[in-house]
Parts: sequence; structure tokens; C-alpha cells
Amino acid sequence: MNDSGSPGPAATVSPAAETTVDREPGTEATATDRRPSAPRRGAADPVKALIHRHRELCERAVDPLEIAAGLEAHGITDRTAARFRHRDVFSLAEEMYARVSRDGDAPLPATPAAPRPRVDWALLTLLPGTLCAAAVTALHLTQGRARLCAAAAGALAVALALRGAVRRGPLSAADRVTPRRTTLWICWLVTYSLLGDGLLDSAVTGGPDGLPTGTADGSWPLTATPLLALTLACAPAAWIAHLFTVRARRMLGTSRGLEDFGAAVRPLLLGAVALFMSALAALLILSTEALGEPAAPAEALTLGALLFLARLLTTHGFTYAPAVVLTATATVQAAALATVFASRLPGCGFLATPVETLVTTWGAGSVPALVCGAAALALLVHAARKLTSASAHAPQDHTR
Amino acid sequence: MRIGLLTEGGYPYVSGDAVLWCDRLVRGLAQHEFDVYALSRSEQQEDEGWVPLPPQVRRVRTAPLWMSSEDGPVLGRRARRRFTECFGELAAVLCGASEAASTPETDRFGNALYGLAELAREQGGLAGALRSEAAVRTLERACRAPGAHREAREARVPDLLAVAAHLDRALRPLSLDWYEDDGLGAVDLCHTASGGTTALPGLLARHFTGVPLLVTEYGVRLRTHYLTTPDAPPAVRFLLAAFQSRLAAEVYARAAVVTAGNAHARRWQERCGADRDKLRTVYPGMDARPFAWVGESPECADPDTLVWVGRVEPAKDLVSLLHAFAEIRRREPRTRLRIVGAPADPGGAAYLEHCRTLAAQLFPDEADGPHATGDNPVSFEETGGPELPGRADAYAAGAVTVLSSVVEGFPIGLAEAMLCGRATVSTDVGAVVEVIGGTGLVVPARNPRALAEACVALLRDPERRARLGAAARARALELFTIEQNIEAFHGIYLEIVSHTPVRRAVLDQAGEPLPFAVPAEAHVPVRWAAARTPRPAVGSTGWAASSPVRATGSVTAQEAAR
Repeated sequence: MNDSGSPGPAATVSPAAETTVDREPGTEATATDRRPSAPRRGAADPVKALIHRHRELCERAVDPLEIAAGLEAHGITDRTAARFRHRDVFSLAEEMYARVSRDGDAPLPATPAAPRPRVDWALLTLLPGTLCAAAVTALHLTQGRARLCAAAAGALAVALALRGAVRRGPLSAADRVTPRRTTLWICWLVTYSLLGDGLLDSAVTGGPDGLPTGTADGSWPLTATPLLALTLACAPAAWIAHLFTVRARRMLGTSRGLEDFGAAVRPLLLGAVALFMSALAALLILSTEALGEPAAPAEALTLGALLFLARLLTTHGFTYAPAVVLTATATVQAAALATVFASRLPGCGFLATPVETLVTTWGAGSVPALVCGAAALALLVHAARKLTSASAHAPQDHTR
Repeated sequence: MRIGLLTEGGYPYVSGDAVLWCDRLVRGLAQHEFDVYALSRSEQQEDEGWVPLPPQVRRVRTAPLWMSSEDGPVLGRRARRRFTECFGELAAVLCGASEAASTPETDRFGNALYGLAELAREQGGLAGALRSEAAVRTLERACRAPGAHREAREARVPDLLAVAAHLDRALRPLSLDWYEDDGLGAVDLCHTASGGTTALPGLLARHFTGVPLLVTEYGVRLRTHYLTTPDAPPAVRFLLAAFQSRLAAEVYARAAVVTAGNAHARRWQERCGADRDKLRTVYPGMDARPFAWVGESPECADPDTLVWVGRVEPAKDLVSLLHAFAEIRRREPRTRLRIVGAPADPGGAAYLEHCRTLAAQLFPDEADGPHATGDNPVSFEETGGPELPGRADAYAAGAVTVLSSVVEGFPIGLAEAMLCGRATVSTDVGAVVEVIGGTGLVVPARNPRALAEACVALLRDPERRARLGAAARARALELFTIEQNIEAFHGIYLEIVSHTPVRRAVLDQAGEPLPFAVPAEAHVPVRWAAARTPRPAVGSTGWAASSPVRATGSVTAQEAAR
């Protein structure tokens, strides 16, 4: 057993051993002149060297305990700390924390990654418009039973395409939201835009005398222009929503405070809505030209704005207000129709007075235009409050 | 006795942390009833299912931490004001804004926390409020307040959002419905399997119903938090670290007893504000049975073989071991080294490859004679094959077990080698000294020469090897078995319940207090509970804490067991 004396075993080591044993040549003396008393790294300030070695850890640390944890992960123990004249790692870490200057500017936080445009949703949003155009063409070309079949198939196809378009991409609802049933009300609103005006017109004049024939003439005419324009507007709506999200995320990174952010996002929101309205107006003009129907722009524009705002709120996690407003809008529209029919009952003639006045003054399209306009305005006010808050634009965490 | 076991991402999920320990504890204390309250960490964990539960587990309640819960009812005006007050107070404490109030820091944090919990219990809707814009605004106000810490003042909007999201996640246990009389209110003792968010339900149960809390931390949660926080802006890391350390302080302050897995964890707990009187060290228990045959037949070891067993990763410093082995070979040419272990990750695999190359360079293949096929004196192996079916066989193969780590927590491998009755040479890192006591040789880390010295000393002295091995086995059987672990917790349970019994008003079926339901004899007239004599910490008896032997090249190597 080598219990003999201090330098004994080390001295017996052959010189060739040094090349293998010494890990850092130059910092360590050879085995023969290494004495227990000689300082290994003869610096006057050993902590400074330590700080230099763990500079990144020290500069990154937000409190001394973080440095202590990092040092321990690098194998520094209380016994090592004793070499630096400290009682334990904690007090060593405190000294290091105090000595490192951290007055360099913190780097700007990385902007939360914005979603990138993708081919799948870009194509999906084009689908409803295309299918709707095809369905309208089919209605024009067919007759009788075939037309009925074409109408049913077209309605189904457009409904499925719309469902697909809002399932992914910038129009899809946020993960965290509690889904609320608004599909029924949206269907009602869209159907009304298709058939409602004709029905109201004929109801006021005592009709309708038969079921809709699927054309723009007859006793119950079909107005396909708003529906065509709205379905075509899916693509611009998706792109505008995408743009809104991306720009808002960027502002999140650059704004100093929540007030700043709100002030910067408000014009962005109004711009997005205005952009959508102009895109929808252009599409309306196009479809009016193509279909050759009489134009009713106010109705389609307000309905489009309402649906766009409701979707925008839903995608950012606010489902309650859109659901309430859509329900109310559909109910009021239905009530307007109902009053006209109810006025035919004996003694209830007064019920139809408001609606009849509207229809005779501004036409049948004024009723949905007024209702949807009011609803869209309400949603716009709500969105201006909710969508300008930073928490609406917080990146979602996907830790599952 | 009825014990509420609180876990987070652990028992009873198959893939949880510390499942084995909890399972052994629950099975070992069959005389008690266990209610398990588990927070799950991910969807995948929930899908993988539970481990089989013994009958003493009466009920299991789980809640997901990964899924945002329902927003709940929207708070009314008054509740909203209350939320803003409490959350603002919490945020102010985190930002370091010190009011001139006389309440100390921990009290402010605790008051804010319990205020939020009471709000959640009475009104609900806390989850929605924590995610709302009001929470972010409150946080911003606290960060911009005069006196806020520099890092907090620099928080920008994305930082505020990130902190709010983290706080929402961390405070999710506040919205749970576990604290009623049929939940945690019915247990006699809450035992949390780790600190941090896991201990929150225990804190609240203590606050609402006075159930005493026992905190067991094998790895200190705060330290893990520092080491695992992803890279984030300083403001986020500052606020989150502040939250974790305030929470740790609150948990330690309210707990009846805090147990640590080793002295290192205990030092961290003490540093974070745990009272010395509350701290107990309970060493992790290990199953001694697989190692029993090795320990009882010391003669099966090859006297010229060194063994290293563990998971291959850079922190184990195998390079240093190989350099030390070169030195050993120079003095004891017949020695062989068996490195048994598999890499844990790609980094470990690359390191293993590096070590193989180094071994091939340092040691040429050797053969017995000119006509025999040679092989390398250093072999890299893995357990599970026909040659080494288990870890016990790996330890059995060598006369000396070597540990060359530069970083180590609780060295499980070392304790296993002790159970096998093997003499050990280890580096002075982590809890090694505490585990080995005086029953093995300890050298400084990153010192191959000292490691070689110690190994040669043991290889040349079979008698000393046997003596150290026997002492090590005796020590390990005393300190690191499952039985001692369970026994220690049993003792702590009894101690806590005797000192802080939960007194409940017994109600009849109509909900009225039942007179004479608790007999007068239930209360001992003398105040024996108050006379608390300081008892020594479990596991840190005099001989267990004895200083180890240093076996550096220049210092005389001698063992305490002599």
C-alpha cells in the first residue's frame, strides 16, 4: 500500500505519463515540481478567472441562485468554493452575481412567430366561390327537375366548401375557445340574402303565389348576386385576416406597453375591415355584371361586414359576442318576415306597418341592410375594444 | 390514517416521475389509506394510463395541467376588483416593489395567493380572469411601478403575455375543486411528492381546512427550474424565478416537515427559507434483493478488473477514467477495465464513440501468446446481454467499482456498488461523500492521477478491499434500502399527525354539529404535543455523517473503517 509519504507515488510516475494525464498543457506544472502548497493557477483574484470562464452564465443570470445552480451543474461544490475563500457555492455565486456588470442593453425580444401563408388554406378559401359560380351557372342552364337537383347539389357543395375554408388557416377558430353554435344562424342569414328579398317583396304585395323557380324573375325571385360575392370574398377575407394577424404580432414585438399596442392595432383593425369592404364591393360589381341581376349592394356589404367581424372575433378567441349578435340579427330578420304574414290575420294589420313602410320607401333590401348594418356596427365597436388588447394576440402554447 | 398524496406528472401515471418511489411507499404503508391527487403533465401521459394500484389507494383524482380549463363564469364587478387587488399584490411581490407596509414579503405573497384561491373557491372564474386582459394590465402596472426591479421594468408586451400565460398555468391548481370536505379536507395529512406547483394543493388544503403538509423533494424544484427554463428574455426569467422562489419559500414556511433526498438538496431548501427544525433527510430507498447474491459472495470478483457502471454522458468524465486507467496499467499491467452502460441521448452516443476511439488509441489490443487472438483491456459493454444480464452481474464482475463523474446528484450507481459489497473509488462530487461515508476512497474530480493512485492502492490490497466492501454493504443496507425509506416516512407521518392533529366538527346527516361525537378522551389533557424535543434528523446519525477518506496522491490513504 502506498501510504508512505506525500510526493512518493507521484514522483515514481515516469515522465511519459504527463502527456496523457495533464489535460491542459501549459496551465499545469509538471508532476515533479507540483507541490501541494503551490497555487495551481496563480492568479491574485481566482474568482475573476471563474467569472471569465462562466461569463455567459453570469450575464444571463437573473439572480444569484441561478448562478449557483449553473455552477453546481458544472461540477463546482462547496469544497471547490472553499478554494475561492467562500463558505459555500451560494456565497460564491452571490459574489459573482454582484461583480458581473449587466448594464448592457437587453436584446429585443424575438417577435412571436407569425403564421406563414400556406397553400392548403389559400386553395381552400378559393373553393366556395368557384363552386358557387358553378352552381349559379348550372341553375341558369338547367330546367325543371334537373334544376332542383343542381340547386340541392350546389347548396351542399358550397356549404361543405365553406366549412372546409373556416376549418384551417387564418379563419379557423382558436384552440382555446369554447365553440358556440352559430352555424344555424349564419345559414339563415345567407339563405335570407338569397331568397328573403323576393319573399318580402311578394309578401307585401299579397304573395307569394308559388315556390321559387330558381331564377331572378317570377313571383319569388332568387337573388344570387350577394351569395356569389360573399363566397368569392372568402379568399380576400382569409388573406386580410392573415395580414391582420401578422401585422398585430409584429406590433406586439415592437410596442413598449399595452396602451401603445392598443393604439397601434386600432387603425390596423379599421383598415382591415375597410379593405375587406372594398374587396367585397369590387366582387359585388363583378357578380352583378356577370349575372345581370339588379344590384342591392347595401344588403350584401353589411352582411359581409357582419360575417367578417364575427369570424375575426372568433378566430381570436371571443365567441360570446358574435354568437349573441348573429342570433339577434337572424331573429330580427325572421321577425320582420313574420310580422308581414301575421298582419294578414284579422285585427293585426298594424303589425306590418314598419316593414311595409321600409319596403315601399327603400325597397325590400333595406330591411336586412338595416338589421345587418346595425349588427355589424355593434360588432365593430366590440372588436375595437377586444381585438386591440394584447391578450387577444398572445401566441398559443402547444404544450400537450 | 388517511394520507393525501399529491403528485405532478408522476404517480399513478405509467410514465411519471418518481413512480417507483411512490408505488413502494403506498405498498409499504398498507396500514394507511391513500387518496392520490395527481396533476398530469401532458395528453400523452394521460393516454398511457396508470400503474396498477393497490387496494389501500382509496381514490384517485386527476386534473390536467396541460389543458386550459373552462373559463368559468365571468366575474362580476366586485369580484373583478378583488381579483385585480390580489393579482396586483402578487405581481408587485414578484416585481420586487416593496411597499412600506409592515407585512413581510412572504406574507404578502401568501396573502395574495390565498386571496386568489378564496376567490376561485367562492366565485369560480379564476381561470378566465387569469387569461384576461385585466391580468396582463395588472402585471404591466406592477412592472412599471416605482421600486420594481430593473429586469421587471424592462418587460415588454410579449414578455408580459408570456409571464401571464405561465402564471395561469402555474396557478391552475387554485381553480380545482379538491379542497372541499369530501376532498383534501377529509385527509389527515397531505404528502406532496415534490415542491413547486405540486405543493400548491397542499398549501391550499392547509389554508382552508388546516391539514398538515409534508413536502418531499428528491430534487429541489427551484433548482430544476433554474436549470431547465428555456431561453427567454430576462424579464420573463426574472419574474418566473421570483414566482418559483416565493412559492418555494411559502411552501417551506407552511409545511410541517420538509424532507430532502440528500444533504445537497437540504442545503438548497435551507437557502430558500426552510426552517432547520423542519428538515429531515430521507435517503432514497433501493431494492437490495437483486444485489444480495453479489454482496454475499465477494469471492466471485475478478481481482484484476475495474468496473464502471452508469449511463454514458459527458458529465461522467470517462475520458478522465481512461487516462487514469493508462496510469494504472503502467503499474499493474494485468488490470482490465469494463465500462458498462448505454448512452442516454445522441450527445451521449457521440461521447461514447469518442471514448471508444480514445481507448483504442491509448491501449493496443493484447493477447496471451503469439497464437491467441487478442482484445482490448478496456471493454465497452451493455447490460441485458447473455454475459451481463443485470447491473448486479456488472458489479459482480469487478473487484473495484470506479465513479469518475464531474457532476452528480445522488449517485445511484455508487449505492448499488455498496449494496454489492464492492470497494469503490469515486470522485468528490454531489452527494458522493455523504453516500460513501468512510467506506470507500474519494478523490477530487478531474484528477486522473489521484484516481489511478486510489485504484492501484485497492488493487494491490485484497484484504483492504474486502474490508471496505463489507463496510460499504453494511452502510448501504442500513441507509439506502426501501425499508428504511418507508420506515422513515411512517415515522414522519406519525410525528406530524401527533403534533398537528386535524380537529373536525362531526356533523350529522342534517348538517348540524353532532354533540359528543368525539369522546372527551380523544383530547389528551396534558399538552404533550407542545413539548417538542429536537430530535436528530433521520439518516444523519453520527457515523453516517462521518467524513470520508481522501485518497489523493499526496495524502496518506486510509479508511475510517480501519
